Amino acid sequence: MAMNKTQRQTAWSAFRYVMLTFWLLVVIFPLFWMVSTSFKPDREWFASPPVYWSSNATLENYKVVWADYNEYTTDETTKNLGTYAASLQRPWTALGNSLTISLISTGLAVLFGAVLAYGVSRYRILSETRMFQLLMLRMVPPIVLIAPISLWYRQLGLLDTMTGLVILYFLTSMPYAVWMSKSFIDEVPREMEQAAEILGASRLRTILEIVLPLVRSGLVATFLFILILTWSEYLLALLLSKSEVLTLPVELSKYQGSTEGRVYGRQAALSVGITLPLIVIGIFIRKHLARGFSFGMVRR
Amino acid sequence: MAVDSASSNSTGPVRMSRRDTTRAQGIRRFKWAVLAPFLGVMGFILVPALLLQAYFSLFQFSIFDAGDNDSFMAYFEASEWVGLDLYEAVFTDSAFGAAIIRSLAFAIGSTVGCFVIGFALALLMYRPFRGQGIYYVFFIIPMLTVPIVIAYTGEMVFYQAGPLNDIASRLLGRPVELQLLYDQQTALFTVMLMEIWNWTPFSFIILMAGLSALPKEPQEAAMILGANKWRIFWEVQLPLLRPVILLALILRFLEAMAEFPKTWGLLQGGPGSASETIPIYIFINAWQFFDISYGAALSYVVLLMMVAIVLSAIWLLRREKTSLDAMYAAKPQEG
Repeated sequence: MAMNKTQRQTAWSAFRYVMLTFWLLVVIFPLFWMVSTSFKPDREWFASPPVYWSSNATLENYKVVWADYNEYTTDETTKNLGTYAASLQRPWTALGNSLTISLISTGLAVLFGAVLAYGVSRYRILSETRMFQLLMLRMVPPIVLIAPISLWYRQLGLLDTMTGLVILYFLTSMPYAVWMSKSFIDEVPREMEQAAEILGASRLRTILEIVLPLVRSGLVATFLFILILTWSEYLLALLLSKSEVLTLPVELSKYQGSTEGRVYGRQAALSVGITLPLIVIGIFIRKHLARGFSFGMVRR
Repeated sequence: MAVDSASSNSTGPVRMSRRDTTRAQGIRRFKWAVLAPFLGVMGFILVPALLLQAYFSLFQFSIFDAGDNDSFMAYFEASEWVGLDLYEAVFTDSAFGAAIIRSLAFAIGSTVGCFVIGFALALLMYRPFRGQGIYYVFFIIPMLTVPIVIAYTGEMVFYQAGPLNDIASRLLGRPVELQLLYDQQTALFTVMLMEIWNWTPFSFIILMAGLSALPKEPQEAAMILGANKWRIFWEVQLPLLRPVILLALILRFLEAMAEFPKTWGLLQGGPGSASETIPIYIFINAWQFFDISYGAALSYVVLLMMVAIVLSAIWLLRREKTSLDAMYAAKPQEG
């Protein structure tokens, strides 16, 4: 029997909620598990059957990872952790490194990227071919050049330094910085600039007082978007730092490096700390995320 | 086509006034000033790296000849000319061939997975409904999660006594003790599932943005002409969406070809060599065996292969963008 229109709509709506809720569970479950594990005392990390939400929830993992770092060597049940405590930095140092490196490189990329994008948008200083060639920096896998870069970096004294990583992140962030900020600059009507010019405003003043205020929120979104990518980067950070400049993702991977047994609770506590800021930032700029990836293909 | 007179006449007219000439000069000076730091870094870091890589792919470096001498020059002294031998070795290396196949399977699998799920979600969600915003916020979260965090959290979830097996056991009423990550057959596939979880939001957001931005007129016209929803989808929406679809597929494929953190963080190429994808294989040769020369030859072959893929991808994207530009440039005149 054919359904009438209202019934069809109700059925469709129900179908939609069922499907979306299913995917919602798939998305949430690993995150829930990470958070839940971070509150488990160590005897529950590997419990069988697994503990979904600890009734003895504790902040110990957070304390050990983020505060009482020296606990590693004294903790009774996890005594063997002392062996790799030596290879770990304090997460706060790694956090400092991550922050410094990603903020500086992202800042530079957006600064130069936005100015370049302005030039492309208004004066076509780069042809479309060049603009697309720029994307190659992002699309060719970095692994194919990392070994000679590391050798060259050693010679330059850039290996295991923040400057070294900042330079490479600056380079790999440029394509997104230029393309994304260009999409915002393109939206500013030229007539406004022309009007200001006719009224006698200098070029610089036009840019600072007309264009910049209009694209400011777009540039902030570009900045945060690239910050997310830089903050999560693993390969370059792993291979171009030895001991001095560990970033947070590399710091986390040190916990996994041992065969002496996993420390799920500690990993989870560190993971929450690494991930949370990105999720907050990402939700904040969610309306602009599509633009970052779409290279002018999505029009409004 | 209308030429914007104030800003783009710098290259146009045959006779340029003095003012135009200085303007053109100013623009050129501005261009090089902006590009200088960028080109500087390229010339100072990437070009030497490419040259070094070329050198070591033609000269076999031996760590035994280098001995304890760890200086930069020692690398050159400990290398001897082998011509194209290393490239020949790469082309006859069956482990490398296997790595290419694994990478392709991994990349295609995760591209298709992300695309199918992302497109389905976008189709379910692009029209406003109650709760749309909330679902959207949650659905983008995986993309915002650090890949290495996903890897380790994934391990906790897939762990033998972990929640996934537990839930499966409860649902099926019999004990399930899969060790997906430790089985040669399933290890890379499991990483692929994490990759799909990680990057489905990417396909989702650009396809959803594309769907919401589709012009309404063609759909309305088709509806008036009596087309049903399926036909509108296949013959109106899908063709208009083609640039975005291509973009979602191409970018995802390229990123998946380069995937490193999850594969390395969890499996280091194992069990056996079941997860030796191209990046892992290069890594193992250049960093674990410290065979810089073989790594260099491998890298060059992969570099050329990827550049070829990327150039064709760029060609495709450009073609789509040009047709889009033409479409949107024509639009105001119609209205």
